[in-house]
Amino acid sequence: MKVLIATSGAPFIRGGAEILAESLCDAVNAAGHEAEIVTLPFESWPPSRIPEQMLACRLLDVTESCGQTIDRVIALKFPAYLIPHPYKVIWMLHQHRTAYELWDHPVAGDLIQHPDGPMVREAIRQADRTLLPEAKAIYTLSRNVSGRLGRFTGIEAEPLYNPPAHAALYHPGPAGDYLFFPSRITPVKRQWLVIRALGLCREPVEVYFAGEADNPAQQAECTRAERELNLTGRVTWLGLVSEEQKREHYAHSLGVVFPPLDEDYGYVTLEAMLSSKPVITCADSGGPLEFVVHNETGLIADPSSESLATAMDALWADRRHAATMGEVGRQRYQDLKISWNNVVEKLLC
Amino acid sequence: MSKPRGFKVLIATTRVPFIDGGAELHAEGLQRALREAGNRAEILFIPFKWYPPERILDQMLACRLLGGREADCLIGLKFPAYLMPHPRKVVWLLHQHRQAYELWQHPMGDMHAYTNGAAVRQAIQYADRELLPQARRLFANSRNVAARLRTYCGLEAEPLYHPPPDARNLHSGAAEDFLYFPSRINPLKRQHLAMEALAQTRTNVRVCFSGPGVEPGYDQTCLALARKLKLQNRVEWLGSVSFETKRDLYARSLGVLYPPLDEDYGYVTLEAMLAAKPVITCEDSGGPLEFVLDRQTGLISAPTPEALAAAMDELWENRTAAREWGAAGRDRYSSLHIGWDHVLEKLLP
Repeated sequence: MKVLIATSGAPFIRGGAEILAESLCDAVNAAGHEAEIVTLPFESWPPSRIPEQMLACRLLDVTESCGQTIDRVIALKFPAYLIPHPYKVIWMLHQHRTAYELWDHPVAGDLIQHPDGPMVREAIRQADRTLLPEAKAIYTLSRNVSGRLGRFTGIEAEPLYNPPAHAALYHPGPAGDYLFFPSRITPVKRQWLVIRALGLCREPVEVYFAGEADNPAQQAECTRAERELNLTGRVTWLGLVSEEQKREHYAHSLGVVFPPLDEDYGYVTLEAMLSSKPVITCADSGGPLEFVVHNETGLIADPSSESLATAMDALWADRRHAATMGEVGRQRYQDLKISWNNVVEKLLC
Repeated sequence: MSKPRGFKVLIATTRVPFIDGGAELHAEGLQRALREAGNRAEILFIPFKWYPPERILDQMLACRLLGGREADCLIGLKFPAYLMPHPRKVVWLLHQHRQAYELWQHPMGDMHAYTNGAAVRQAIQYADRELLPQARRLFANSRNVAARLRTYCGLEAEPLYHPPPDARNLHSGAAEDFLYFPSRINPLKRQHLAMEALAQTRTNVRVCFSGPGVEPGYDQTCLALARKLKLQNRVEWLGSVSFETKRDLYARSLGVLYPPLDEDYGYVTLEAMLAAKPVITCEDSGGPLEFVLDRQTGLISAPTPEALAAAMDELWENRTAAREWGAAGRDRYSSLHIGWDHVLEKLLP
């Protein structure tokens, strides 16, 4: 089968979605098909750009390649999942979040701040309601994404979990003196919340942050907060690290702190589990909550700097408990039987 | 490099999904060169399907609706991707939509056969004339492409040559008893003409063909022709080969046979020159004529089986001339200063 994987992305930004598309492409090829990714550029600002790009997706024709049928389109992201195709299956990573659950969010909400916002939100919601049902089947990345889709659009979709890239290479290691937080540096991942929590910790907790900032201003804001709270020596900004370095940082951490706001899925949780590390997350973190069991494989805090600080202190103070929770997390990952074979089988059936 | 580094550059081009050709190699070569010079570069591959003709208009509009203002510079390569708007756009024209221009009412084109063909052709020509001048600078892949743009659209573009993908690794070797014809198997490359010529040679010329067959049926046509003309023992038909094999075939060939119809640029000519092999091409072959000097670095024949056969015989019989012309071709390549550094100097703001 010729399988085209269609997705959207902001040029120059590489995150979980890009890695997922590549892993899916590898998995489909490995299953004996011919797969290829098409990534359409997407700009979300100003809001009037959004309907234009939705229209662009509707205008594309990916039914054939030089006279030969393209048998299947697997569409991942808005607005690429609007591309028409008679055998389209959507594996939804997320809808356009600021038109839905992040609409009036104080930090992430962007559409709401623009005069065109309400109109564009309506256009997005209308397109999703009308056009998503064109797909032969709709799956989602996680229970969290299915939940939102059901709540806002009334469409039921089965979650389909996938393993992180190079899952087999993650390994446990002796716990060192830092918590690890790998993620793009951007407000919804809430590095800023961890910095504030560090300012309230009673233990001398240290955090290693890995990942690039979406823009320099966001990095500058974090570094300023770090200085204001006098956290010198307790925060390390590693920047972009290689996959191998990342795995080593996981292996030698005491635990992982991952408190994003309403994350769709979150490879970080799974990577931590594969590295036998406990995960600290928040009650509103979304995806991680499908995996972290409080006090068994990690700690679930309230999304406040006080509560997060308490959880970080607790992990720091009881290393034996941290190690045990990490072990249980690794076992839990094994029990979930997350595999690409399963994903490909469902998407191509 | 005298240019400052660190630009974010988007390369906008068109792609027929699942089909790889020179255009993809060109975009990837440009991306690699930009990255090696310390810039960030991403390729936007917009999927393209040119039939029925009205679909072209949809995709032109789609390109006008897409963009990437985030980038410091957008380099447009192929129709209709080069129509994408950007405040700092440079177009490096690979080719326009040839069926609307030099292939209109040509047996190799079919747009004229549709009832709406003329209207679509007019829209394409109008868009090119109106929108190409929006670019800050206009370059063409070759003098041939620049000349077409001048003839049909009255626009001036500076020809800008670039090295073939495998330039660094090509090498020469002792000539064996075959001519080499590497190319996609496609009516425009005229493998059938090579077969017909082969049947008319006086000597026992042998030809080795390699390249992927993307045009359904044409490779079968060529093979049937070889059988009909009883050329089985004089034709080797390899299909797709690796870069390594291709290098080796260039190095071992007596010379290179490359008689396409009005080629835009043609890596084959340059690769042959880098391998110090003479090139046989035709008077109507386009791009190759910018490089091949008749009886100095190869032979330029009329595009008929008889004339081409005579050229093949001549090379077959006169091995000394073949060797000397090959060496002169390599010298000529060096004297042309074809390099990515030069390309970036021209393209970057």
